[in-house]
Amino acid sequence: MTLLPRVDEYSCCGHGDCAAIAPHVFRVDEIAVVTGEGSDDVVLEAARACPAMAIEVVDEATGEPVDL
Amino acid sequence: MPSRILIAGGGLAAQRAAETLRARGHDGAIQVICAEPVAPYDRPPLSKELVGTPFRPAEWYADNDVELLLGRRACALDVGARQVALDDGAVGYDALVIATGSRPRRLPALVGRPNVLELRTVADAERLRSALTPGARLAIVGGGFVGLEVAATARRLGADVTVIEAASAPLARVLGPSLGGWFAALHRAEGVRVEVGSGLEAALPAVAGAPVSALVLADGREIEADVVLSAVGVAPETRWLAGSPLAGDRVAVDPCGRTVVPGVWAAGDVVGGDHWEPAARLGAAVARSILGLDVGAAPPASFWSDQYGIRIQLVGSAGADVVEIDGSDRSFTAVLRRHGAVCGALLVGRPRELPTWRRRLADAATERKAA
Repeated sequence: MTLLPRVDEYSCCGHGDCAAIAPHVFRVDEIAVVTGEGSDDVVLEAARACPAMAIEVVDEATGEPVDL
Repeated sequence: MPSRILIAGGGLAAQRAAETLRARGHDGAIQVICAEPVAPYDRPPLSKELVGTPFRPAEWYADNDVELLLGRRACALDVGARQVALDDGAVGYDALVIATGSRPRRLPALVGRPNVLELRTVADAERLRSALTPGARLAIVGGGFVGLEVAATARRLGADVTVIEAASAPLARVLGPSLGGWFAALHRAEGVRVEVGSGLEAALPAVAGAPVSALVLADGREIEADVVLSAVGVAPETRWLAGSPLAGDRVAVDPCGRTVVPGVWAAGDVVGGDHWEPAARLGAAVARSILGLDVGAAPPASFWSDQYGIRIQLVGSAGADVVEIDGSDRSFTAVLRRHGAVCGALLVGRPRELPTWRRRLADAATERKAA
């Protein structure tokens, strides 16, 4: 399974936790943007750690959101 | 699964509950009772920029079939009939989310004065903004985060600002005297008068309903003002629950936001917190709980404030007995310890340290549980 993160620009507060956990996947300036891919584990960890819960994770194969 | 979900309150927790319900597949009705005449908006910018930022574009609500009952107020809860009485009519529910937030505390000396403002709504922010003409003398009663943020904003707009704090320093009750002293020094360096150590005694003239011309402190100090901001904290908005099983000074909930009443959840300030992250998280958790989904554990919460372009962040819990400061005047980390253990950190001008600290505190909590 390949998991892709999506940042909700309205909810992101730019805390930076995602980029600290997955620096190859996220970059945070004002808000977070997805800059690359990471392992499923690291993507899930980053999404679960988001204090604003602004990261959704989607299964690339089905397009369905994954339960965090 | 409940088909009609009613959310009483239109703030952050309400918004996150509605969004999560739709994102997780709820296809029944969602109604949101918004006391204000505008769609839900984010409140932190109220004190930072004197505006409220809408959470979503206006069409989001129609696109997601979320019905906003704007300008309506929840007045009473009938748990037997599963009904919320509004100021005009009533709405039934299968599941109810109580998210009525909080209301500003008021000082008797300032009630009923036309130039005494408070800051809780976007309408309040507009009133304050129009009062802050360059040179206007603003007296802020209360040196908490809201009072200090408004002080910084008002200085930027050219107002003459005084902050009045009854404790020995701003935020001293939350962060202790040494960090409180840093906040006092910061604001003084930016041209704010910071009057500490004495509470508000009276407003002059001593004529009910007259505009305030000066504030008198308990020790006799007098502060002249054209406009006064009362910023002495908030209390959960639970008055409408009087007569219901949930009456009280806050609504008690479990980690999923469930109350003791079947079919009723609560989230946001009404459960007794007053910070952004816990409100967002519990709003989403409530939605998941209503839908029968698992609710994950929350990471250590953080809180942020912006003053004079400096990002200030508190992570973990305050109430430290020892504070260790590392850094320089406008860029430092204050490690907060209680009974020898690290309980939190205040980051000043160091936003990139936040994730590290959140992790460190989460690991410490896990270790404590394991021990």
